[in-house]
Amino acid sequence: MSSLSARKSAPARTPAPSRRTLSDRATDLILSDYFVLYMSLAYVAALAPFLPTLLAPGNVVNVLSNMWPLLVVAIGQTFVLAIAGIDLSQGSVVALTSVVGAMLITTAADPSVLSKAPIWGVVVTEAGGPLAGMTGGILLAILAMLIVAALVGLLNGAAIAALNMPAFMVTLVSMITISAFAIWLTQSENIAQLPDPYVQLGKGDIVSVYIGAKAESQLPRREVYSFVTYAMVIALSVAVAAHILLNRTVFGRWVLSIGLNRKAAEISGVPVRRVIVAVYVISALCAAIGALLYSARLEAGRPTLGEGTFLLDVIGAAVIGGTSLFGGKAKIVWTFFGVLFFVLLSNTLNLMNLSSFQVDMVKGGVILGAALLDVLRTRLMRETRR
Amino acid sequence: MNLLTKTTAAALVAAAGATLGGQASAATICFAFQDLETEFWVAGHKAITTTLTEAGHTVIERNANEDANRQLEQVRDCIAQGVDGIIIIPQDGESAVTIVGEAQDADVPIAVFNRPPTDLSRGIIVVADNATIAEAATDYVVEEALAKASGDAKLNALIIVGDLGDPNAVGRKDGFYAAINKHADRFNVIEVASEWDAATALANLEAAVTATPDIDVMFTSSDFLFPTIRSVLEPRGMWKKTGEEGHIPLAGLDGDATACQLIKDGYVSATGVQDLYFEAESAMNAILAAIDAGETQPNQVIPDPGFALTQSNLAEREMDMWGCVLLSEGFLNK
Repeated sequence: MSSLSARKSAPARTPAPSRRTLSDRATDLILSDYFVLYMSLAYVAALAPFLPTLLAPGNVVNVLSNMWPLLVVAIGQTFVLAIAGIDLSQGSVVALTSVVGAMLITTAADPSVLSKAPIWGVVVTEAGGPLAGMTGGILLAILAMLIVAALVGLLNGAAIAALNMPAFMVTLVSMITISAFAIWLTQSENIAQLPDPYVQLGKGDIVSVYIGAKAESQLPRREVYSFVTYAMVIALSVAVAAHILLNRTVFGRWVLSIGLNRKAAEISGVPVRRVIVAVYVISALCAAIGALLYSARLEAGRPTLGEGTFLLDVIGAAVIGGTSLFGGKAKIVWTFFGVLFFVLLSNTLNLMNLSSFQVDMVKGGVILGAALLDVLRTRLMRETRR
Repeated sequence: MNLLTKTTAAALVAAAGATLGGQASAATICFAFQDLETEFWVAGHKAITTTLTEAGHTVIERNANEDANRQLEQVRDCIAQGVDGIIIIPQDGESAVTIVGEAQDADVPIAVFNRPPTDLSRGIIVVADNATIAEAATDYVVEEALAKASGDAKLNALIIVGDLGDPNAVGRKDGFYAAINKHADRFNVIEVASEWDAATALANLEAAVTATPDIDVMFTSSDFLFPTIRSVLEPRGMWKKTGEEGHIPLAGLDGDATACQLIKDGYVSATGVQDLYFEAESAMNAILAAIDAGETQPNQVIPDPGFALTQSNLAEREMDMWGCVLLSEGFLNK
């Protein structure tokens, strides 16, 4: 029986609601799917009186906008964590695929910047990339990004599944190698001049709203807020698809069973190696979609995307959501709430005018807290099952 | 009072006091910078924050820690907080374009300090004339190298290039080549990439000097790399003062305190100087003027002509260089 079903069955084993103790209720709360959401709401409620900007429409829009690319990448990491693995190469896949996409569709390139790059004259010229201005060029570029990512995921997965190499080592090597390759491709330069429809995928609005009376004939732009964006639609589509895949299909059960006990899964007939390879491919594909959103919002393919504390954000968000580092416990909705909390945390720390170093230290502390909470939840779950 | 409030801010407040003090009301300015890795950025940061604060304005500081995406998010947060204006030191020229567009689309005036966007048509852009300054500094060391050279022998000129995603680095490289190309038949050029990173510069410079030990003239695109250059040249017996056998004419660009000390000591022959105080003051004045005028999308390029401080004009122009001002206040001893 998976831990998920154990979690669901927990309330049924407790006595009638009227006789439940405070401790039982606390246990239920901690084990609830919505624990991190409740925590986020409590966090906002506690800080809102001191940070009036927190609930301002513009700030809410920022929080949501910052969520989407991180959510997509964290979803990929969730699959990997679910099999008790880790994918350190996601940041480098973001960098590489952002470069690959940009070099294919850039509409112009500056020779003084890129002429030393190996892609100059082969892929990119002063007139741009080979797919610039072509009908369906952007779709082809996105397809190329996905193919490149899938290849990386395939290599990672094959090394881990077939050669039984540690995921940490394999993806660490991938991270270093792919990152260096991305930097070599452009000699560390960014590829800008991306076509507008591509940029819109990262920062374009589908629906904008104005909150207030129709008093003015011309609305100030800073009072018109993004409501539904292309990035939101893409990220939520990925989230829904991933939710169905992980939590509503046999494949998802295989993933979780491998995380719970790989040997037991093998004995039970789960195609463990194929599932592991597929999981790393999914992780890399999510990183490529994240690259699409990041490069579009920054209007450039950047070989340094995904460096620095990016992985801390990705893994931190998944773990805060409740995905276990020990494997076997993962839900996309948890990751969604984890990303929400993590982005909220960054946003509020910024609003408190803390330095970036303090922000990172607090983030690190929160992730540590989330890891400890994971241990607590696992113990509570075991006790509830008894 | 620290060294900058004594001289920098005092000079700035005195000089710009009429302008800044004349603002109708206290403004809230978001100052978003990419990092404070070099003396130039530290001094620029201090000049801007101290002067604005002392003039009664509120400064919200945001350090992106060299992450362009984080800087974009920080600027968006500033806009949501309702700041009156933004001053940024962007990560690179491309992200600067995006961030300037983001601010202007939200009707918030924005000024870019020193590192210009690749598109100069939007925003208040304060930028040094990197090409001219670099050319002036390189001219000096080229002449020194040619004077030392025997006959028509071909000389090796080495340039440490910055991150070419930064228009400043491109301008400096162009300036170097403009000077070299005046004597194109006399020089082989060796390019060493630094990506504005000391470790990268160290590795690449070691490789280049090992491959070509006979360097006749050297230009670094930023003064912050002088300690790196020294660490490569000194063990090879190539770190010599002017007049000593084996001296390599060295030039840089920025005008920091280390460069000033090295020029005085005779190790460095020239450095291109960006007028940091002029740039900081111009950015502040322009953004405050735009806020006062209710101008939400001011577009203006403010050039800093700069100059080259050399062994020859050191006596007259020393105190025009911000790094020498800091040096005189004991900056390197702190």
